[in-house]
Amino acid sequence: MTVGGAESALFWIAGPLAVAGALALLFARKAVHAAVGMATAMIVLGIFYIAQQAEFLGVIQIFVYSGAVMMLFLFVIMLIGVDSSDSLVETIRGQRWAGLLLAAGLAAITIAGIGKAAFGTPRGLAEANKDGNVSGAARLIFGDYVWAFEATSALLITAALGAMLLAHRERLTPKATQADWSRERIRSGENVAGLPAPGVYARHNAVDTPALLPDGSPAELSISRVLRARGQVGTTGALTQVTQEIEHEVGDESDEQATTRKDDDA
Amino acid sequence: MSTLAALAATTDNPVADFGDTPWWLSLVKALLVFVFLLINTLLVIWFERRVIGRMQQRPGPNRAGPFGLLQTLADGVKLALKEDIVPKAADKIMFWAAPAIAGAMAFVSFAIIPMGGTVWMFGHKTPLQLTDTPIATLLVLAVAGVGVYGIVLAGWSSGSTYPLLGGLRSSAQVISYEIAMGLALVAVFLYAGSMSTSQIVFAQNDLWYIVPAFFSFVVYVITMVGETNRLPFDLAEGEGELTGGFHTEYSSLKFAMFFLGEYVNMFTVSALATTLFLGGPAAPPGIAAIGDGMLNGGWWGLLWFVVKLWLFMFFFVWLRGSLPRVRYDQFMRLGWKVLIPTTLVWVVMVAFIRAAELGFLGDSKVSLLGRDFPRATLFIIACIALAVLVAAWFYDNHQVKRRAELEEARAMDEEIDPFAGGHPVPPLPGQRLVEPPLALSAARPAPVTDSGSEENRG
Amino acid sequence: MAAVGVAGLLLFGVAMVMRRLLAPVSANPVRLTTYESGVDPVGSHWAQTQVRYLGFAFLYVIFAVDAVYLFPWATVLRDADLGAASLAEMGIFIAVLLVGLVHAARRGLLRWLP
Repeated sequence: MTVGGAESALFWIAGPLAVAGALALLFARKAVHAAVGMATAMIVLGIFYIAQQAEFLGVIQIFVYSGAVMMLFLFVIMLIGVDSSDSLVETIRGQRWAGLLLAAGLAAITIAGIGKAAFGTPRGLAEANKDGNVSGAARLIFGDYVWAFEATSALLITAALGAMLLAHRERLTPKATQADWSRERIRSGENVAGLPAPGVYARHNAVDTPALLPDGSPAELSISRVLRARGQVGTTGALTQVTQEIEHEVGDESDEQATTRKDDDA
Repeated sequence: MSTLAALAATTDNPVADFGDTPWWLSLVKALLVFVFLLINTLLVIWFERRVIGRMQQRPGPNRAGPFGLLQTLADGVKLALKEDIVPKAADKIMFWAAPAIAGAMAFVSFAIIPMGGTVWMFGHKTPLQLTDTPIATLLVLAVAGVGVYGIVLAGWSSGSTYPLLGGLRSSAQVISYEIAMGLALVAVFLYAGSMSTSQIVFAQNDLWYIVPAFFSFVVYVITMVGETNRLPFDLAEGEGELTGGFHTEYSSLKFAMFFLGEYVNMFTVSALATTLFLGGPAAPPGIAAIGDGMLNGGWWGLLWFVVKLWLFMFFFVWLRGSLPRVRYDQFMRLGWKVLIPTTLVWVVMVAFIRAAELGFLGDSKVSLLGRDFPRATLFIIACIALAVLVAAWFYDNHQVKRRAELEEARAMDEEIDPFAGGHPVPPLPGQRLVEPPLALSAARPAPVTDSGSEENRG
Repeated sequence: MAAVGVAGLLLFGVAMVMRRLLAPVSANPVRLTTYESGVDPVGSHWAQTQVRYLGFAFLYVIFAVDAVYLFPWATVLRDADLGAASLAEMGIFIAVLLVGLVHAARRGLLRWLP
């Protein structure tokens, strides 16, 4: 078998690229880099198929794998977080061993199946692509393998149900509207006018800086509970200090403010 | 239409013959395609600003060069002179890779577009098309799928919230509309019996596919606006919500790459629409008959192709000048609940029409308007028309009923005068406003008195 | 095809070199912070996004595979032996998928607002 100059050139340029992508999948530290590495490997594989005149297969490889599956990967990564590392705690006891066992079984079946494959005499590209590459593939799908094709539709619909199970939660009660929330606040009598907004100052403007109450103490309620849980609440000490110093100089400082300042400084 | 069946070849291989095209000529053509796209992009940005200016009764850019033609070039140079900022929180590698992907991928698809007939070039007879394969049209979809990576990665790597949201939105948008686009194309493939662009153009010799695949054309035009993130579907960079969307953190020439990519993508989808539905480089029906087709084919094809391409560009600009941005949930609802199911059903209908033409459903024919139609085709088209009518009737009835219910509910509300207390008060639930009768006449625009001096205002 | 793509990449390279030669550089820590419309950024950029995107990505995969079968079918329909049979086969396939889509729509997967 001989390979043309252009094709071998493509192989030596694109081959290493595919390998690099695959290695990135294994060794990249950030999950997104790994996903992009895999996408690269998939696209290059598609290019190889096209170079070997399996044009339909190559384009489908790029369309489905890099376009769809990889997009799915990226979305998952975005949803579970970029920085989060894998938890190695087993949630179900013995799942690791069971997984390994099943993987070994699958590998054994696959190897046995492939090992038994008998190769017929090759007919050559010219005959396979007689009516065009796509027609050749289509004749196989809709002729010899029609049951596999129809089974695919069942598989796809199962996947749709799986998607629904994973990404969809049905509402049993109607969603509370703004009016509902308002009514609820008035009924309970707490924070009737809504929670205070975080601080907006001439020199500093951030959601992590609490608003100041009239007495100069920070309003804890103005900070989002997510930030509070993450421990990302800023201090207002530096902001109130200037005012308090001026007030101190003019002798306008109340006892309360003095204690607050001491707290902030500490 | 029956002649279409005869024209559709028994093979899906391209009809364009690249036998007499040496590799260096392919390179020359590649370079020409690239330059063609660059120049067109420069022109279309100027064109867009001028036309939108006209639509908004202002002159648009008219200072740099004749008619402001060099404005885009000046803007490009200005972008090159801007500082390039890589935010501290950004992922450096991907921040670089994203504009490269977005910029480079946009150009690839144009390689399979037939831009003219077969011409003599440097002593070789070659089609005005860089390359063609049996899967040429799918290649555009695949490349678009890869191009999305540019946007997603730009959004992710910026390390900022607005770009992340913009990138996510944009990718969800592009993948949703890519499905509808792919399904819309299936009808064309059914008629042409091939996915090669030259074969599809050849099969349209008799009748442009905009007629038999009209619904596909409508769906394609909607999805191509969604695919390119253009108004009214530019949710990925909705200024009111996401400042700049996925390119918020980009500046200088990296931003220019995204800008260029967007416009080249517009040309690509328009070129595909031209090829699939408007006969590609074929002359318009009346002109094609002049002088035994002397204005059809060869270099003339390039002219017709460019004219059709720019019609689509004008349509893009027109949309931008006249429509507001849709809401994201409306956008997704249109894609998944309207476009995809209706296109699937449409594909099945077209398949039946084709089957009738091919004689699977009986062979008798009827002569109409000088063409032979198989009886089964007419029967199926009648069935489809009937189904559409019934559906429309049900929908209309439903709407009428709903409107009546709404009216009834409104009639129950107590009318209040918003100005009863001296200052305007919004209606409470269970109340409705009495509209002041003057509102309509007050909203009517004042007649324009002076339109001649606009050009001078700059 | 590849040539046009390479030309695009070259354009990017040339643009980057031009930028290096022409554009000013003045590192300024404030300029390098994340842009959040004037509000100081808090913590790392990343925040969890809507899980709905995931649902649509799943559906995309399903319909992409569906489209992949439709494309070759379009070329086989003219075939004298398989054409009529493939019409029925594809009818069943599309009907099954439509049932899935309608089910998803009825259960509210396609509704963007909760």
